[in-house]
Amino acid sequence: MLSYILRRIVATLPVMAIVALFVFSLLYIAPGDPAVVIAGDQASPEDVERIRQSLGLDRPFLVQFGSWVWRILHGDLGTSIFTNLPVSTMIGQRLGPTLSLMIVTLLLTIVVAVPLGVVAAWKAGSLIDRAIMAFAVFGFSLPVFVVGYVLAYVFALELEWLPVQGYTPLTEGFWPWLQNLILPAIALGCVYIALVARITRATMLEVLQQDYIRTARAKGLGQGGILFIHALKNASVPIVTVIGIGIALLIGGAVVTESVFAIPGLGRLTIDAILRRDYPVIQGIVLLFSFVYVLVNLMIDVTYTLVDPRIRY
Amino acid sequence: MDRRSVLKGLAGASGLALTGGLSAPAIAQGASARTLRFVPQANLANFDPIWGTQYVVRNAAALVWDTLYGVDSSLQPQRQMVESEEVTDDGTTWTFKLRPGLKFHDGEPVLSKDVVASLSRWAARDPMGLMIKALQQELTTVDDRTFKWVLKQPFPKMLYALAKNNSPCAFIMPERIAQTDPFKQISDYVGSGPMKFAKGEWVPGAKAVFEKFADYSPRQEKSSWLAGGKQIMVDRVEWVIMPDPATAAAALQNGEIDWWENPIADLVPVLKKNKNISVDIGDPLGNIGSFRMNFLYPPFNDVRARRAVLMAMSQEDYMRAIVGDDNSLWKPLPGYFTPDTPLYTEAGGEILKGKRDLDAAKKLLAESGYSGQPVTCLVAQDQPITKAMGDVTADLLKRLGMNVDFVATDWGTVGSRRAQKTAPGQGGWNMFHTWHAGSDCINPAPYTAIRANGDKAWFGWPTSPNTEKEVAAWFEAKSLDEEKATIGRLNKAAFDDVVYAPTGFFLSYTAWRKNVTGIAKGPLPFFWGVSKSA
Repeated sequence: MLSYILRRIVATLPVMAIVALFVFSLLYIAPGDPAVVIAGDQASPEDVERIRQSLGLDRPFLVQFGSWVWRILHGDLGTSIFTNLPVSTMIGQRLGPTLSLMIVTLLLTIVVAVPLGVVAAWKAGSLIDRAIMAFAVFGFSLPVFVVGYVLAYVFALELEWLPVQGYTPLTEGFWPWLQNLILPAIALGCVYIALVARITRATMLEVLQQDYIRTARAKGLGQGGILFIHALKNASVPIVTVIGIGIALLIGGAVVTESVFAIPGLGRLTIDAILRRDYPVIQGIVLLFSFVYVLVNLMIDVTYTLVDPRIRY
Repeated sequence: MDRRSVLKGLAGASGLALTGGLSAPAIAQGASARTLRFVPQANLANFDPIWGTQYVVRNAAALVWDTLYGVDSSLQPQRQMVESEEVTDDGTTWTFKLRPGLKFHDGEPVLSKDVVASLSRWAARDPMGLMIKALQQELTTVDDRTFKWVLKQPFPKMLYALAKNNSPCAFIMPERIAQTDPFKQISDYVGSGPMKFAKGEWVPGAKAVFEKFADYSPRQEKSSWLAGGKQIMVDRVEWVIMPDPATAAAALQNGEIDWWENPIADLVPVLKKNKNISVDIGDPLGNIGSFRMNFLYPPFNDVRARRAVLMAMSQEDYMRAIVGDDNSLWKPLPGYFTPDTPLYTEAGGEILKGKRDLDAAKKLLAESGYSGQPVTCLVAQDQPITKAMGDVTADLLKRLGMNVDFVATDWGTVGSRRAQKTAPGQGGWNMFHTWHAGSDCINPAPYTAIRANGDKAWFGWPTSPNTEKEVAAWFEAKSLDEEKATIGRLNKAAFDDVVYAPTGFFLSYTAWRKNVTGIAKGPLPFFWGVSKSA
């Protein structure tokens, strides 16, 4: 297993290099010039050119790319064109809020969606099943920002239970940390919960038809044991896959959620950097996200072996 | 249903609910009354007011760095860090003496060598600074508190240049920082202003924190804009960046923030209904909407085509698209300078008055030789103001019979593409939309957009020798009457050649919770004199 994990990690390097080259090329050919934004309206073309030179933006594509790769290999993600701060510092500042939001959303999803899916499968065709699936369709159809505004209106403005915006680090206490994340996690989690609940239901339905479930029932095993020990474990591979793939959804959704709830996370940093053409920051974030995707895929593969002993590498 | 409608509806509903008498939010109770939480107009993405000239940087810099002079609410330069100045009879040698006891945030005294280095860096980037630099014989220290600026010719607007509020302001930094190349960014934010920048708490895109500078010695005069005694009444000012207007509105209603610099027009009615919130015009100098036509290529290289557009355009259409139905927020602008300021004039602006004459405009356009070639119109969709104006222009040009190539893009792209001098079909353009802060349009000094010196002019590169002649005359003018006469001629020349098309004058609101007092109207948010009760 260890050699498999190592092989997988080594195999990610070319993937990340290709992604980096692709992103770098896209940014290079995209319209927009950070030097113009920095120079401001009063600047002459000569001023803009001097800023461009001082930032190294006048150099040929291959030189810029090569220099970036060289820095990356030395553990340096570069410096933001606008803030003059190291990209690693900026990403570090924003990683906590985004990770927190993703973790809370992920936990919320697992805690809510999996039981809902199991119950829906167990009560297939009943009113409960239909209600759960209607909820799933509803959750899947609503844009994150709509759910976010409704939640903020009800729970922050009307009931005054939770704050509208912001983020408090975990170091300042569990409840202050959590209270800023509840509403965004629900808003972000709606689509995700709906997706996982539907997949769980479908997979469970299939497993519940299997002979060994019938045998378990015949042996007099309780409903809970059948559902959550025998059936759910065997239905887990597709569920784990969807949860893993869903992390991609979370990253995308976090961009909107972080804006709606003014959370200073990576999503907002990405949008800001793109609008300003802050190339080093965009490149650093894309590299990080690529790495996260690769890592998530690896974790999914490893999890398969844990939930299904027949899978071996 | 679009996102804007949703947020408007929900924010409206919340506003009504709160007006209904709900108690003050619990979240607000825990916040310290010594911390003022402010939502600025934009993200403070960098913090060098000379390297980057965005208004938001200037606004933050005004807290941290002081200036030698400051412009007051009557637009007059007043002494700030300076105790006295002397100018020789021939107007070529200025000698300035600093106030005693000025200190930087690191405890070091402010010395004339710091001022000389700071003015040198500023003068390399600022248009007025460049003019002074061109006349400069020497800029030297005399002693620790005295410095001298010797010019080859008089520069009557010297004090205005040092006091002006448009970017870049002549902020004074320690010599070691001011020696940074003006085209490179500083990373040390030590000033001598009323507040210190908490660099360690800075999260660009999310938060910027300023702490009261205990050793600041304010002037004794009453504060007025950038002049007078800058008394800070709170311990901390936290800038909270909120990209989503609905969230900012909700946070203000909820008491999570205290002051929102520029609420969008859609949400103002909601805020006005809340009994805990005050809403008022923030900057009485407002903004001037504009679109610029490219003088280098057909059809707008012909003055008849430019005049045809002016004859047909309705400023009311533009203004209503920007501010909605609130008539108190806009006025027509048959002039180029900011209304209600001393130099405002409508001389030559008749073309924008009265009934719009589409037929005459079409005839004039035909005379210009326009024969249906595409007109590339750049419109930034991520800026509500430019988007609104762009939509009106597209309709206007179509009604004029023009073939509009509407380029809907983002501000970053407009910013770089408008600098292209190539033909519209080869990456260039024919027109783009923007707006100018009214405080930048009070006279020709900060007013880049009015310059018409061809290749050296602002984007669109207008050529209008008569306009330029009057700009030069204004810099030489020695009295207000002389300035007014000059500006009258300038305004007319600019309309004759259509340097650009003003789309109207509009104002914006600012909003704050009622436990905050002392907010002054002005071209930037002034934090001195602002206090907050629990």
